[in-house]
Amino acid sequence: MSMAVSIECLRKIYRGGFEALAGVSLEVPAGSVFGLLGPNGAGKSTLVKSLLTILRPTECRGTLLGQPIGHRATLSRVGYLPEHAKFPEYLTGRQVVEFSAGLSKVPTAIAKRRTGELLERVGMTSWGDKPVGSYSKGMKQRVGLAQALVNDPELVFLDEPTDGVDPGGRIEIRKLIEAMRAEGKTVFVNSHLLAEVEQVADHVVILAKGRIVESGKVSDLTSRGRHYEIRTEGPVPPGIREKFNAQGWEVAGDRISIQAQDAGPVQPVIDALRAENISIREVREARISLEDLFLSAVNPDGTEASR
Amino acid sequence: MTLLVDSLRLLRARVLFWVTLGISALAAILYLSIGFTPTGVSVLFGATEFKNPLIQSGSEFSELFYLGLFSKFIVGLWLSWVAVGLALISCAPVFPDFMSEGSIGIPLSKPVSRLTLFVCKYIGALLFVVVQVGLFCVIVFVAIRWRVGTWNPSIFWAVPLVTLVFSYIYSVVVLVSVKTRSVLAAVLAGVLIWFVAWLGQKSEEFLYMASHPAGAVLEVPEEQGQSALTDMEKWHRVIVGVMACLPKTGETMNVMDRLVVVGGKTGFSNSQFLAALFGQAQEDSTLDQALTRNSTSYVIGTSLLFEALILGAAAWIFCRRDY
Repeated sequence: MSMAVSIECLRKIYRGGFEALAGVSLEVPAGSVFGLLGPNGAGKSTLVKSLLTILRPTECRGTLLGQPIGHRATLSRVGYLPEHAKFPEYLTGRQVVEFSAGLSKVPTAIAKRRTGELLERVGMTSWGDKPVGSYSKGMKQRVGLAQALVNDPELVFLDEPTDGVDPGGRIEIRKLIEAMRAEGKTVFVNSHLLAEVEQVADHVVILAKGRIVESGKVSDLTSRGRHYEIRTEGPVPPGIREKFNAQGWEVAGDRISIQAQDAGPVQPVIDALRAENISIREVREARISLEDLFLSAVNPDGTEASR
Repeated sequence: MTLLVDSLRLLRARVLFWVTLGISALAAILYLSIGFTPTGVSVLFGATEFKNPLIQSGSEFSELFYLGLFSKFIVGLWLSWVAVGLALISCAPVFPDFMSEGSIGIPLSKPVSRLTLFVCKYIGALLFVVVQVGLFCVIVFVAIRWRVGTWNPSIFWAVPLVTLVFSYIYSVVVLVSVKTRSVLAAVLAGVLIWFVAWLGQKSEEFLYMASHPAGAVLEVPEEQGQSALTDMEKWHRVIVGVMACLPKTGETMNVMDRLVVVGGKTGFSNSQFLAALFGQAQEDSTLDQALTRNSTSYVIGTSLLFEALILGAAAWIFCRRDY
């Protein structure tokens, strides 16, 4: 599998000695949606900015689209939507996108065509010729997305892409990210909105205090705590509860939890309940959410938990 | 190209740009309204007339007077003080705005070097002055043809000279902007260096004129006079040394006198202009000597060296800092 981003070691120590990134290493498979998660101050933006040469890392070894990180020409194949993106208020949305195209060295004719297409794609065609100063936050974010895609990038960094966007807009952005993946682009999403990332990302990394505390495929991570739950009509009778506990099945009130990777071990429980004439209200497969995973990796005050 | 187009859009969006342009156009039209009559000078398209024995229609002094007004009052006062001041205020936020959180990320993530971004932004701000002074000069160019009867393209030297003066001060504004990201601090630093440069130049000019008297001006005993002159020369040398490190805003504007063509000859005489203005045929050449005491290459060369050092420091900070 080829990697769009491969970081061997990335360290950033700010003046004053604050270590924002403590020698992070990660890989982003090409053509995937990659989620970088972490609490505020974890180092997410520092990592993205280091890859894009917006700040100068203390130590950096790795590649971006096959070239050493910091190789300027490679940046013409990259798109970027910064967090709290601010555009000059004297420009129209169309001019913002064309400006970004110009800096990416996209030929004028192609830039004009793509600008029109992208404004339509992000639902800003009717506002494209109005000054950015008259836009809402969500509109600015949409224009920001359009400018990030105007050079038809292979790799797109989206730093908090749904920041300030209404629920409808969030769904559209999620669809846009899925469409980018379908086109073969690699999308690097930096976000603290776990549920959104979980819906769209293939791989995630959780960052806390400049260190990676969890990483892997979303499906693998969330299946780590896979179990089944059976709920009965009323509490499980004490005799049966003791029997189940002896089998290693956890019983609490009307709920029986069975740690299992497939539905096989659940069947004897159902049989036992039915043999006792106990009505079954619900049987479901439960997975750990990304949020649970995040909280288990990072404790609520933002410090790193033991793995 | 993208960055320069953006700079033009930025200028167009600045209210002060249009205000300055409007006032410049008014000043240029006022200049255009000045004409000559058989007995003197008329202003406001003939609404008022001032009698003058030397400056009249068809007189040899009319061209000198008309170009003198341009060189001394329009370039020397309006363009080099008011227009430059307004341009400084208007362009001071260019770098702090560009470097603000959320704005700088996109340009820096593009395949354009930081130095290119810096230089283009700087040149973009200079366009403010180029456009203002250029438009002004076009009106003046037409006015001179109408009033004096000659096409005088030498007046367009005002464009690079005023831009140079602006660039000396703006380099300081940029350095402070890049270092502090504060518009107020940048403007204050620009005004301070401008004032120091002006004060230094005036002091040097005064000491030069005092230590290089044309004729017997000191009515004191010879020995005492020599001692005073020696002191003046010493202080003049000190201030010349100090001024060598500073931008020469006023002297750069005075270079206009050496480049403008009057009566088919290059060079404008301030002494002759002042004498004609007050109706005197004879002039005192002390002022001309003082204003041409330093060569053009020294005046512009040392000022550009100052600008290059300051801009170099600003570019270094801009290219190396984290955003």
